[in-house]
Amino acid sequence: MKELIQTLTSAVGVSGDESAAATVVTELLRPYGKVTVDALGNIHCTVKQPEVGKEHILLDAHLDQIGLIVQQIDDKGFLRVASCGGIDRRVLMASEVTVHGKSPVYGVICSQPPHLAKEGDSKKPPQLEDIAIDVGLSQEKAKELISLGDRVTLNGPVRELVNGQLVSQAMDDRASCAAIIKCLQLLKGKQIPCGLTVLFSTREEVGGQGARTGAFSAFPTKAIVVDVSFGQTPDSPKHKCGELGKGPMIGFAPTISRNFSNELVEVAKKQGIPYQLEIMEGHTGTNADQIVIAQSGVETGMVSIPLKYMHTSIETADPADIEASAQLMAAYVLRGGER
Amino acid sequence: MLETIKLLCEINAPSGAEEPIRKAIIKQISGFAEYSTDALGNLIVFKKGKQEAKNKVMLAAHMDEVGFIVRYVEDSGLLRFACVGGIDTRVIVGKRLLVGEKAVTGVIGTKPIHLTKGDERETMPDIDSLYIDIGAKDKEDALKYISPGDYAVFESGFVNFGNNLIKAKALDDRAGCAVLIEMIRSELTYDTWFTFNVQEEVGCRGAMVSAFTVAPDYAIVLEATTAADIAGVEAGKQVCELGKGPVVSFMDRGTVYDRELYHMAFELAEKAGIHCQPKQMVAGSNEASAIHKVRGGIKTLAISMPCRYIHSPSCVLKTEDISDTFILAKAAAEHLAQL
Repeated sequence: MKELIQTLTSAVGVSGDESAAATVVTELLRPYGKVTVDALGNIHCTVKQPEVGKEHILLDAHLDQIGLIVQQIDDKGFLRVASCGGIDRRVLMASEVTVHGKSPVYGVICSQPPHLAKEGDSKKPPQLEDIAIDVGLSQEKAKELISLGDRVTLNGPVRELVNGQLVSQAMDDRASCAAIIKCLQLLKGKQIPCGLTVLFSTREEVGGQGARTGAFSAFPTKAIVVDVSFGQTPDSPKHKCGELGKGPMIGFAPTISRNFSNELVEVAKKQGIPYQLEIMEGHTGTNADQIVIAQSGVETGMVSIPLKYMHTSIETADPADIEASAQLMAAYVLRGGER
Repeated sequence: MLETIKLLCEINAPSGAEEPIRKAIIKQISGFAEYSTDALGNLIVFKKGKQEAKNKVMLAAHMDEVGFIVRYVEDSGLLRFACVGGIDTRVIVGKRLLVGEKAVTGVIGTKPIHLTKGDERETMPDIDSLYIDIGAKDKEDALKYISPGDYAVFESGFVNFGNNLIKAKALDDRAGCAVLIEMIRSELTYDTWFTFNVQEEVGCRGAMVSAFTVAPDYAIVLEATTAADIAGVEAGKQVCELGKGPVVSFMDRGTVYDRELYHMAFELAEKAGIHCQPKQMVAGSNEASAIHKVRGGIKTLAISMPCRYIHSPSCVLKTEDISDTFILAKAAAEHLAQL
């Protein structure tokens, strides 16, 4: 699992420019079915051709990750950026980054020296308009390598904590991609009683356009959206978080199918798979919001992997939760069948 | 010198825990000079020159780096900590650390941005609300890996990037140490003293006593100093610039420098055909603040390398500035020896 996470999180795919990550997941999916790319860059894998009168289950995880986007190269060669997804500004200063130009360019996010901080400044995170990236190049040299619109990622190679939790900058949502690929591994050689499609969707972090169009094309009867959700830390409200290592969070929300949520709980109980509940009051903030309303509507359930420090370069997840999510989805798929 | 700097920066030794860096420096200089260690852990080196010096000259650099110290272990297994040395809270959230003697990975986490409300989003978390997460299950588990009083440092590798720039943690002041090592390993005209000091970042405690022991006529402090030549900072507030050579101070927050030595540095730089720049702001401080007040007073010169993002995991120096600093330090030492 660590190796799979390593592979997936080191692939680059900031929202709207997921092609490098798409190449990696395409290779990972190829043993399980026909893989296609659509107009918005979504990756579809038909694992089991859907049949009329039978369930067609879609497993969705988003392929993109948050980052920054270059919007200007100033006369000294510093890059001015906008956010591409909801990056946490509090973690940016003095962070190491990679600018995905013609070739990867190393950079450091400028950090204002304390002597320049006006009163109160040092207590505030920088505004994005004040953020610049130092690539150590003149404007001319920088322009040879970097174009406006190039994406920037925070450097955050995988590290393991003392009890196996893994830290990476792109756990959101490659952890879920890993769960789906692991699910396909578990299903390999088994008789799948329903249609099964995998969607690795683009642009979730900038609005979910990938899931919207991808779900339209796939038009499943049921969809499981796998994403990360808040992992419990002492500074976060307990009722909005799941605990790492306690299994996937099964979502309950007014906007998704309660029957489906109950079915997922039932399967988890029956199979002895650890799980926890994630209760939401409206929109889910995930691709489920888009997939539910695809075409004439899709019955949708949610499986979330608890993640600490979301949208930073130290996103931390427990591989055991990813494994358990895979088991839960596999067990659910195997009980699918007649409609 | 770059190889030495890389080697020195990769050693973890915050203030008060300098043993590993001292050992590494001894390894670099043994066979080239006589050395001893004092009660505080300073490394005092005497290098015989081709001839005796008229004046006793001492060059000083500090071995310690900024870091963190574990104060308390929560029941949850999270570690409460303090900064050792001046670290801007804005550069620590979301960063990776190496914690304790076993150097386990830790991350400085905080509540995800999604769960912050109103002002909280625009406020950096206070140091007392932050914690280091090593992934421990609880207090007992955490204590298997660390104890209160253990140190942590930024996890940050050595990187070459841009136009001859280097990035690492602890360039302040391992670059200064490397300049001294290079001098010790080279042939010197005059007998010269060198001190590699402890505890600079917590108040220049080491320099106070090593300068007392050596009792030089002249002292030269080799340092790294804040360069604010970055995007968004107006020319008058940049202090110094990368690529413009060693930085010589006329006054900072710790020392009013000897006027003669200040002018001398620029004359020597011109003679040597290297860049040299004044520190254009009365800000910051270094070991000169301790040394010039030792015994009956010591004429002291500070030569600093311009460093972006100092006291962060991503300190940045320009290689030409390091080699020019070496040339100036050597020329100044020789000049003062016969003054």
